Amino acid sequence: MLMQSIITGLLLGGIYAAYSAGFSLIFGVMGVVNIAHGELVMLGAFTSYWLYTLAHIDPFVSIPLSAVSLFIIGYVIQRLIINRVVDAPPIMSYICTFGIHLIISNLALRFWTADYRSITTPYCGSNLECAGMVLPYARLATFGMAILMVGGLYLFLSRTDIGRAIRATAQDREMSRLMGVRANHVYAITFGLGAAITGVSGSLISSYFVIYPQMGLSYTVTAFCVVVLGGMGYIPGALLGGLILGVLESLTATFWNAGMSSTLTFFVLFLMLIFRPAGITGKGIVE
Amino acid sequence: MINGQRHILMPPLKAVFSIAGILLILSILPIFHMSGYALRLMSVIFMWIALASCWNITSGYTGYIDFGPVVYFGIGAYTTALLMTRGGMSFFLSILIGGIVAICFAVPIGLPTLRLRGAYFAIATFAFAEAMKQVALEWDRVAGVHFFEGSHGITLPIGPSHRFFYYTFLVIMTLLFVISYFVERSRMGYALKAIHEAENAAELSGVNTLKVKVSAYALSAFFTGVIGGVEAYWLTYITPNDVFSIHITIQMVIMCLLGGMGTLLGPVVGASFLTLISEPLWARFPYDYLVIIGVIIVVVIIAMPRGIVGTWAERKRRNRGT
Repeated sequence: MLMQSIITGLLLGGIYAAYSAGFSLIFGVMGVVNIAHGELVMLGAFTSYWLYTLAHIDPFVSIPLSAVSLFIIGYVIQRLIINRVVDAPPIMSYICTFGIHLIISNLALRFWTADYRSITTPYCGSNLECAGMVLPYARLATFGMAILMVGGLYLFLSRTDIGRAIRATAQDREMSRLMGVRANHVYAITFGLGAAITGVSGSLISSYFVIYPQMGLSYTVTAFCVVVLGGMGYIPGALLGGLILGVLESLTATFWNAGMSSTLTFFVLFLMLIFRPAGITGKGIVE
Repeated sequence: MINGQRHILMPPLKAVFSIAGILLILSILPIFHMSGYALRLMSVIFMWIALASCWNITSGYTGYIDFGPVVYFGIGAYTTALLMTRGGMSFFLSILIGGIVAICFAVPIGLPTLRLRGAYFAIATFAFAEAMKQVALEWDRVAGVHFFEGSHGITLPIGPSHRFFYYTFLVIMTLLFVISYFVERSRMGYALKAIHEAENAAELSGVNTLKVKVSAYALSAFFTGVIGGVEAYWLTYITPNDVFSIHITIQMVIMCLLGGMGTLLGPVVGASFLTLISEPLWARFPYDYLVIIGVIIVVVIIAMPRGIVGTWAERKRRNRGT
């Protein structure tokens, strides 16, 4: 029971990590707290949902498509709107992204109705049973993908030219411009990249969670918690934060009360900010 | 008190007369035949002006973005509801205690969180508000009691007429306007603005910044709690999802921002503008209403980052300069 609960929590935590890494990246590079983050998850999930419903493409196969479309959406949002408020006081970017949240989620509601939807794949009920524990295949695959994505993002940022440009811009925007980095372009790439991995997590989620146009805000809130736990702006921290939060929620739901698990999440977030704002790893950005 | 300071505190006579005139008109308006709708709409505007002013006192002047003021609204609403239904207390006593309970939460919460800066303060206050909403929702089931009634909500005694709430909100709004005026012109107001400009410098100049921030935060919390109590009595039925809703927070923030943060008239202009523009939009485009509000928010942020009052004041200053 205890082991099963921990394993379930770890699998859940993987998904938390996957959609929070983009949030952390965007905050770390631009200092923007993206309240429309959950909408990116929603758009990714709906991309896979429609491809499955209309063209019978498996959610795991439609991942590249949702990554590309979300990259484009993210790039455009950054170029058109957020670039204009990056230099303004932080409140501007919160409210601006909140406006984007309203626009995207209500347009989605308008076009796709408020119905709760889900994808029923042929393999969705099949589990791997091992040492008396039940591990659903879809969740295992998601967990693997999540680890790969966070790891891939980390490598991308540390090993490639664009990754170096992104990190340089995050450290000192003016200096990196002097070195020939186009800051606006780098910001747009960063936002696109963050949106793409978030969209991929949305696709993964669509294969076993219920999706609906208004789902975004709760995902944004979880991403807050995960990223604060692991350290804001520190990408590997998102993985650690996600896993800790997943296990914590799973244990609370198993041994106490499912309703208390989100209460606990918020109290952990609150206490974490007060006592250790740089996150468990201590590597987050602190102003 | 220094001579000069008393002078600064005195508002210009012209402003006093025009504001007194507006208040006089507002207070005799309901005597003439006003439709229930008009009376309600006016009361809603008063309520939002008051709420936006509360937020303005803490966040508008200091730049510390409180993303969870609704928690005090909810605390006020629940205290009032519980005192009136369980304690059989009178309405006015209940809302007063609601405000005091809000202070009792605000001081211990404000002390650690107001040390955080930037996004961290915003997220911490947001987390606290959401946590309290969950507590109100889940407490009964976890503790096995009937207290907050969770998502079933609490039904309050049926309130008096709309006119009663019109005057209650008018009084609270006026009170907050006057308090905001004196806060802005007092030592505390200068300290709050100094915190916005350069907190470390203010600290070095001998301002006890934490104390000033917590006082402003508690003052805001008190009035937000009182308004929450009035709203609970007006609605006669409250649930945690209604009175702890993030949308109340967001509306307070947006109204302040639209009007102009850290200005006296900003909350008044922003709250009136947003409420008046929402009404016809909501009536004509019920499905696209929130999309349009989203577009308005984004456009205003990009085109007028200082808000309506801020932009207007800047233009006036520039015209005078050239």
